[in-house]
Amino acid sequence: MKNYTYAWRNLWRNRRRTFITAASIFFAVFFALIMRSLQLGTYDYMFKNIIESYSGYIQVQNPEFWEDKVVDNTMLPDEDLISTLKADKNVLELIPRFESFALASSGSRTKGVMIMGINPEKENLLSDVKNKLVKYRLTEAAIDSLTREDIPRNTLRNLKLFSGSSYSGDGKLQTELGIRDKDTSHIMPLFRKHAGVQNGYFSQDSQGALVGNRLAQYLGLSRGDTIVLLGQGYHGTTAAGKYAIDGIVRLPAPDLDNKIVYLPVTRCQELYNAPGRLTALVLHIKDNSDRAIEQTVERLMSRIDSTYRLMGWKEMNDTIVNQMDADNKSGMIMIGILYLVIAFGVFGTVLMMTAERRREMGVLISIGMRKSKMAIIMLYEMLLIGIMGIMSGVAVSLPVIIYGYHHPIVFSSKMAKMWEDYGFEPVMAFQWIDTYFIWQSLVVAIIVLIAAMYPVFRIYRLKEVEALKA
Amino acid sequence: MKVLELKNVHKVYNTTQVEVHAVNSVTLDFDQGEFAAIVGPSGSGKTTLLNMIGGLDKPSQGQILVNGTDLTRLKSSELIDFRLYNIGFVFQSYNLIPVLTAKENVEFIMNLQKWPREKRDRRTRELLEAVGLADRMNSRPAQMSGGQQQRVAVARALASKPKFILADEPTANLDTRSTENLLDIMETLNKNENMTFIFATHDPRVMKKAHRVITLEDGKVIEDRKKQ
Ligand SMILES: Nc1ncnc2c1ncn2[C@@H]1O[C@H](COP(=O)(O)OP(=O)(O)O)[C@@H](O)[C@H]1O
Ligand SMILES: [Mg+2]
Repeated sequence: MKNYTYAWRNLWRNRRRTFITAASIFFAVFFALIMRSLQLGTYDYMFKNIIESYSGYIQVQNPEFWEDKVVDNTMLPDEDLISTLKADKNVLELIPRFESFALASSGSRTKGVMIMGINPEKENLLSDVKNKLVKYRLTEAAIDSLTREDIPRNTLRNLKLFSGSSYSGDGKLQTELGIRDKDTSHIMPLFRKHAGVQNGYFSQDSQGALVGNRLAQYLGLSRGDTIVLLGQGYHGTTAAGKYAIDGIVRLPAPDLDNKIVYLPVTRCQELYNAPGRLTALVLHIKDNSDRAIEQTVERLMSRIDSTYRLMGWKEMNDTIVNQMDADNKSGMIMIGILYLVIAFGVFGTVLMMTAERRREMGVLISIGMRKSKMAIIMLYEMLLIGIMGIMSGVAVSLPVIIYGYHHPIVFSSKMAKMWEDYGFEPVMAFQWIDTYFIWQSLVVAIIVLIAAMYPVFRIYRLKEVEALKA
Repeated sequence: MKVLELKNVHKVYNTTQVEVHAVNSVTLDFDQGEFAAIVGPSGSGKTTLLNMIGGLDKPSQGQILVNGTDLTRLKSSELIDFRLYNIGFVFQSYNLIPVLTAKENVEFIMNLQKWPREKRDRRTRELLEAVGLADRMNSRPAQMSGGQQQRVAVARALASKPKFILADEPTANLDTRSTENLLDIMETLNKNENMTFIFATHDPRVMKKAHRVITLEDGKVIEDRKKQ
């Protein structure tokens, strides 16, 4: 009779208890994994959004610029820099940026805005501004006309909820309004007819601007209107200019959408009286894993001189990285509480197991079983329960996470509205199977082992004569 | 040859209220192959004495020698191994391991002693036949009567041929038929294997069968009678 055979048989003395204990471990592991996956996945999604619509993964700047973002701290990239950057194996393209602030006014309204000078072609490699142009807008008038058309009831209800919203793609419009796939061929033409927006992109030598959707709504701008920008230029000059609106873009991050004005980079340099100068060169890179980014930064750092500074995305987005960090910690506390509850459950089982087997342990030790062997058997029993719980938890969460990874949860109707009102994109993404699987399983295994220390302790303190009387 | 010698053994329990002299200066010795009963009224110290002989409890004073080894000098971990190789236990309430079959229960001690499988199987079969349970090899304790369970317990105690068997009230939970049956089996094993049996009992049926009756009263030996 092997130790584990005996342990295994012991598990089935009280099937129900073994099952309940294993099941509680299963639920803990299952929920912890799903929670972790969602949390980590959603951070990744948000970071990707910010990186790809704004900061990029790596930037080259004037060393002064980050601390004091004024036009005087721009840089004039020289040939050496450009060729060094372009020669790097992980760098595919250099994307120029001229970023500053200005007051924007249109009619009687004025607002502080962010001016982003971009190269209209190259920028699409990174933030893909072109595909963010607003295609539909649910104005009062548009909704009015749509209600008179033959549209399913739930979509009509959602129309009211999303009154005023804009969409840059068909997909998002369809999920938010709950338009079913089979209805699209009939409904989308109606949306194009009543809610479609005339929109356009711009080119390098355009005299126009693109504005964020929320900003456009605030300033009451539509295509063809004029916006006046006023700010401080290079070396104390005044920056002032008048631009026609070429298009309206909808950025997923509400914060940016509310303040962004895109200009072609040369127009921007003219506006600020800083010809040839840039606030940043964004590196469009091949491999964007954390490791590759670190290596690229290190490699380039040694090659370019100190009149330039390299910044990774984490450094550039430190506020949000910190925010996510805090959120991540609160998520871990939640899981910690979940584990604590499970730990008590497991401990309860261990207590009962030990109490009801006291006499049997007394007998076994009396007839000559070593205490160490007895302890190992008890450990095996707890481990077996733990392994059953952990393995089933992992096994059941795997397909859920794999499915979720390929199909992120995109909220529709009310939920979506709520998330957007809070300034989040209404999307929850799953993180692919990763080290968090190992961590969660390990933590649960350790909890089980710690609980199993109790019977071990009791076995070593057991007095044969007393145990036999039990 | 003496298998067991007790020299002036005392056991005093210091409870909060009173001091109980459970075993009081007991000096005894046992030869190989004895079939002895320690008798006396309830509370006379039989269990306490048997536990000390079995190395489950330590005397307050005195010596217990098993084949010359003084049990009182062994550490508790050494005592466990000592018990494994020298003493067989039979308890009042059988105390078989509920998740193991009759065969596995009998094998248990041989397993702990790491006997090779073949030898183990042979001995198990032989013993289960001797106690008349060859056909119940694969039954679990819960599927057997009290008498059958106690016979398995006797087989388990005897399996690895210990120096002697200690049985504390082995018949207390059994009806007359099972008791006779068990006693016959033990007597036969005593004769055939020359195995030493020491019982603690107040069952007259056991006393009648015993070859030696030691009477205790208030922890003292008041009579030690050998029958012929
Ligand atoms: N652990 C103990 N603590 C205190 N007193 C005990 C303990 N064990 C036994 N006794 C006392 O020792 C005496 C002998 O008990 P025991 O050996 O069990 O007698 P028997 O087996 O003959 O009935 C009794 O008076 C009993 O109350
Ligand atoms: Mg007793």
